[in-house]
Parts: sequence; C-alpha cells; structure tokens
Amino acid sequence: MSHQLTRRQILHLATASAAGFGLAACGSGGSGGDAAGADGDSGKITVWSWTSAAEALRGVVPSFERENPDIKVEIQDVGEPAIWDKITVGLASGGKGLADVLHIGVDYLPGYLEKFPEGIADLSRLGADKHKDAFVEGLWPTVIGKDRAVHALPWEVNPLGLFYRHDFFEKADVDPATITSWDDLIAAGPKIRAATGAQLIGLDKPGTTQDMDFFQNLMQLQGAFYFDQEGKVTLASPAAVKALTIIKRLNDGGLLADTAGQGTWKRLVSQGKLATAPEAAWAVGYMAEKFPAQSGKWRVMQPPAAVPGGGRSVIVNSTYLAVSAAGKRRKAAWRFIEHALTKPAEINRMYSSGSVFPALKAAYADPMFDAPHPFYGGQRVLKSLVESLSSGSEATNFTSDYSRALKLASDAQSQVLLKGADPAGALKAAAAQLAQQTGRQQAA
Amino acid sequence: MALAPPEPARATGTVAATRVGAGTPPGHRATPRPGRTRPGRRRLLTRGSVPYLLIMPAVLGFAIFKAYPIAASFWISLTTGNGDARQFTGLANYRRLMDDPLFWTALRNTALILVVQVPLMLGLALLVALGLNSTKVWLRPLWRLGVFVPSLTGLVAAGVMFSVILNRDAGLLNWVLSFLGIDPVNWLGSPFWARVGVVLVITWHYTGYNAVMYLAGLQGIPKELYEAAMVDGAGPVRRFFSITLPQLRPILLLTVVLSTIGTLQLFDEPYVLTGGGPDNATLTVTMYLYNNGFKYFDFGYASALAYALALIVSVLGILQVRLMGERR
Repeated sequence: MSHQLTRRQILHLATASAAGFGLAACGSGGSGGDAAGADGDSGKITVWSWTSAAEALRGVVPSFERENPDIKVEIQDVGEPAIWDKITVGLASGGKGLADVLHIGVDYLPGYLEKFPEGIADLSRLGADKHKDAFVEGLWPTVIGKDRAVHALPWEVNPLGLFYRHDFFEKADVDPATITSWDDLIAAGPKIRAATGAQLIGLDKPGTTQDMDFFQNLMQLQGAFYFDQEGKVTLASPAAVKALTIIKRLNDGGLLADTAGQGTWKRLVSQGKLATAPEAAWAVGYMAEKFPAQSGKWRVMQPPAAVPGGGRSVIVNSTYLAVSAAGKRRKAAWRFIEHALTKPAEINRMYSSGSVFPALKAAYADPMFDAPHPFYGGQRVLKSLVESLSSGSEATNFTSDYSRALKLASDAQSQVLLKGADPAGALKAAAAQLAQQTGRQQAA
Repeated sequence: MALAPPEPARATGTVAATRVGAGTPPGHRATPRPGRTRPGRRRLLTRGSVPYLLIMPAVLGFAIFKAYPIAASFWISLTTGNGDARQFTGLANYRRLMDDPLFWTALRNTALILVVQVPLMLGLALLVALGLNSTKVWLRPLWRLGVFVPSLTGLVAAGVMFSVILNRDAGLLNWVLSFLGIDPVNWLGSPFWARVGVVLVITWHYTGYNAVMYLAGLQGIPKELYEAAMVDGAGPVRRFFSITLPQLRPILLLTVVLSTIGTLQLFDEPYVLTGGGPDNATLTVTMYLYNNGFKYFDFGYASALAYALALIVSVLGILQVRLMGERR
C-alpha cells in the first residue's frame, strides 16, 4: 500500500513540476518586451548585422568608445538571411536572446513593428524625432510604428541606376542619351545583341531567390507598389501590369538572360553577356571590385522611365538600425545608433569600408560623392545617384504583408516567363490571393 | 521541489539538530542510522519507485520540450493576432486552410513526391541490399560504406551540392549529358525538371539508409529456408517472392512508414535547391508552414498547418500499418 501511495506522489510531483515549467515558459513569453528591458546607459551592448555592413560598423566602435568610455560595443556578423530568423524568433519569444541593436531591412521592419508592437524600442522617448529631416525623403514613414513613435533610424538607402556597357553601346551605335524609357531600350536591344552578342539584362526567371527588385522598380517608377498608402492591395493595378508586360516583352524579344542559380549573374557579366544591369547604389563599389578586368567599360545612367516621360528615380531598398525593447541598456544602444548614423564623418567612413550607401543627407557634402570613378571611365557616378535621390521619390508602403506579396508576385512573374501566362491575368489571380490571405482590401 | 538537495551548509547543522532533538533517546546521538535520519527519502526510494525516478528526466524533458510546445501550438492554431496579443478565433485558421490554393498545391506536390519517390527509392534500396548481401560481390564492406555515406551528408549540404550539380549552364549533370549529345536540361528552372531534381536528391540521400536496413533484414533470414526451397526445386525468382519478401515484411513496413513520414515533412532539400519554385512546383507543406511562421509572422495559421500535417501523417501511418501489418 505504501508503495502505491509513493508512486502516485512521485507522478503528481512530476506532473506538477512539468506544469510549473510550462507555466513559467508561458509567463516569460507573455510579458511584454518593454517590461523586461531597461534604459541602462553604460555597460556592454551587442549589435547584430551582416557581412560588409557589420565590418563597416566595427569601424565606428573606436570613436564611439572614446566618446563614451562607459559603453563597450560588440558587433556580431550574424549573416544574411540568417539574421531574419534570429530576430523573428527573438521577438516571438518576448525579446529573449536578441542583441541590443538590430540591423533591419525595409522588407522586414514594417512587419516587425506591426506583428511585434512591443518588440522594438520606442526611440521617440529617447529623442529620435529631432533627426526627422536629416534623412533622404521617403524613408521616415517606414520607421514610424502604429503608436506614431519612431522605432529606428535609416542607415542605408539604395537609389537605382542603370549600369551599362559603354563599349557595347558604342559598338552597336546606340547613344545612351537617347534612352529615356524602357521602350527605347527594348527597341535598342536587338541592335546591341546583333553587334555584341549580349542580352540586355539578367533575371532569375524561375524565381528561386524571389528577387523581385526589377519588377518592383518598374512599378515604383510609376509611383506604384504592391500596396497603396492606405495598405490596400494594388498588385493587379495598371502600373503592375505595365511593369510585368515590360518584363514579358524583354523575354519575348530574347533580351532577358536567365540568371537562376548561384553565381550565374556574375558569370554572365564577366563573360560580357549582359549589356546593362539595373542595380542599386551599392553596386558602384561591388562592380568595380568584382570585375576589375572590365574597368573603364561601364557607365551609369538614370534608370529609363517605365512609361515615356514618366519618373526616373527610385529607391530600391533601405536598411535601418533599431533597438530591442527587451534590451537592458536601451539608452546606451540608442547613443550608439545616433553616433553611427547621424554624423557625416562616421557614416562616410562606413560607406568607404562597406559600400553601405548613406541615407544621411549631410553625408553627401563629402568630396568623395563628387569624385570621378576610374572603373566608370572617370564618370562622377555617385553624384548622379545622389541627385536622383533629391528629386524626391514618394515613400513606398511595404506594409507588414510585404513577404507574402513578394512571394505571390514572384509566382506571377514565373508563370509569365516560364509558361507564357498573360501578365494581367497572372497578377489578377495573385492580387486576389494576397487579399484573401491577408484580409486586406483590393484597391478599386 | 521535494527532490531538490538540501542547502549544504545550513542543512547539516539545523536539520540534524532538530531531528536529534525529536524524541531520540539520549545515547543514540553519535551514530544515527541513515534510514532514520532521512524519513522522506526512505519513502521515495523504494524498489517500486526507482524505475519512476529513473525515467523522470526523460518524462520531464518530454513534458517541457515536446508536450508543452505541442499543446501550445494547438492553442495558437485557434487564435490570431500579433505578438502576445492573441484573440481566440476558433476554427477560422482551419477554414482558411480549406480555401487556400497554396496549401493544396503544397499538399499535391508532397503527395506526388510521396507516390513517385518512395516506391522508387525503396525498390532501389532493396536491389542494392540484395547486391550487397551477395557473397559474389568483391570488397563488400567498401560497397556497403559507399552506399551508406550519402545519408551521412547534412541535408542542407546535399541541397547546396545538388544545386551546383544541377545548374543549367555550369552544372556537372548537363556537362555529362552533353557528351551523350543531350541538350542541357533546365533542371531547376522548369516546374517538371525541378520536381525531378528534388526526387533525385532525396533518392540519392536516403536510398543507402534504407538499403542498410534491408541488408540487416536479409541477414536475419534463416539459411535453412532457402536450402529447403532449393531442395524442393524453387528457382531464384520463386525464392525471392516466397521467402525473401515475406520474411522482410516487418522491415518493409518500417521503411515505408518512416519514408512516408519523412517525405511528408520534406523541407531542407527543396528549400535549398529551389526555394519551393518555380511557380510553387516544389513547395512542400512544411516549407509553406515555415513561410507562414517565419516570413509572414502568421503563427496561428502556421500552427494550423502543422496540425493538418500531423493529422495526415497519423492517418497515413495507421493505414499503412493496417494494410501491410501482420495479418492475424
């Protein structure tokens, strides 16, 4: 008898402690990030970033630690795309294990702000609002949460440029100055191909990487995106159909090279099989570094308009630094962000070492933005990119459902390129599905 | 809590003092019997309770790391919302699942891989096992090692390796095909060939694993059965169907069930190889689940997907055991 009783007791004990653990886990997950965090302004803070950006940030640490001897900074290169899973898991578990400072792209920031409203610290409280006008137009709305507070500072902005092989254009007798719209470029494409054997641009046709920048840029050139400013779905809008039709025309005309697979784009460029590359500002340094043999052959122009006479400036994407709300040293973290991102000298040092194109307007006064670049035949490449930023592009509303929109748009593009689907039909189906899955309305 | 060891420094002094004082006759102080000084422990540590204590760590581990997440996931599948603010929505996520074309696409893809790949792989594994079991094969251990080695490769590594091999322009496979006069195949760029690519990777990865299981089964079949059959005049084909296959039945069942579960949970290889593309031709249910959870932050819906998948896995598992299991 006594045995029975003891066994039961033991089992009860086991169940009770298991339940206790379970509840404990519940409790810690349930507490808001702000409750767990603290505004410490000294001690060691950690920063999560990736590759060359992390390297660039390391360059800022010595001057920051000199000015703030109480704070030590550790920069961690978490890698990309691993960083998104790490941040997501951290935010989902109430901020557990997150670094103090997080480097976040425009494709994730709105989602984090909406899905984890307590996860990213309110920087307005620490005085972030005073920097509102310091950054390139169109970025600030992205850092504002539903609570109207600022939750990050812009670091990197990537204006679009059309990189082109000057020698190919000359050989084909095409004057770059006459290319003002994609219609012009598509018309010149066969001439360039006949003279040089090169196709116009490369695109991951099956969409394995879901790199939809080109499609998005063609929409942005028309002032459109997947969502309008109210967050309604506009994936089937005339601007979207126009964008996908341009891609289809390029493909049907044999001007679009398939760059699916790792390293394919790089190989095609180095073999001289691509005549142009619509790329973001970060590519200025990247191209010069990766294709030194082609020095002097490339130039950069403003991207052609999607519709004749239309806009010719686009911000491809941007990245931000934010503070984890669960961090114990939020003030110290904010101080680091402010030091790194609002001082022209620091931001330009980072640009020189990591090709992270600054969003801080004051940074462009540096002579380096006016210098001729040998890889581009002495062209003042950066100047034209900076000028395209000042022409003022409207804020792009990425919303919290950007990833889902990206996936559906990528599917629609693959259907058009691989199965010959009609752009309007494919986008209509994608827009309907996006609305169904997100509960958003479709714009009229 | 009762199992926690007493705090060492204080416990010895105070506890011993009170115990000694509690009705112990003078003179017994010096050498108290162990059983007496620890009455609580005595009742816990009995012959009957020891097994429970021994399995306690595993049970606790299961409760914390398995049972709790499974239960929590079920709760989350009934809710919607952001971060910690979750609202109960009943079966809304499950209803949404029914109307979601991508879920059905993912399920169809998974079913297709299951129907095509599993029989192909298991048939191949059986052939390989029969070969490896033959005494006529020279350097048998080397062949066995060679067949098993692919299953030791990391899933992601296998995916990356095959994405290089299957590259249309610079891949090894198309290079080999070019010698046979075959045009380059767009392995990862066409919906049909992308599926073939995924089947290829999984088959390469798991055939050896199943072959080793079959080999173990083959070696467990008593030689006398074959001898008796030969005496009765049975040829090799007859011996295979009348002795080998029936004797392997339990192992066949095991591999079929394990492969089914594995295929239904397929994630790494297509994720690395094709990202689910092109046009969702290789999207699997777990990949769609991952996208919903970690890309779209839609944890309620992702949990509903997990439960739908668990249901499918259990139904298929039970069916297979019923159909293939020992008839009584």
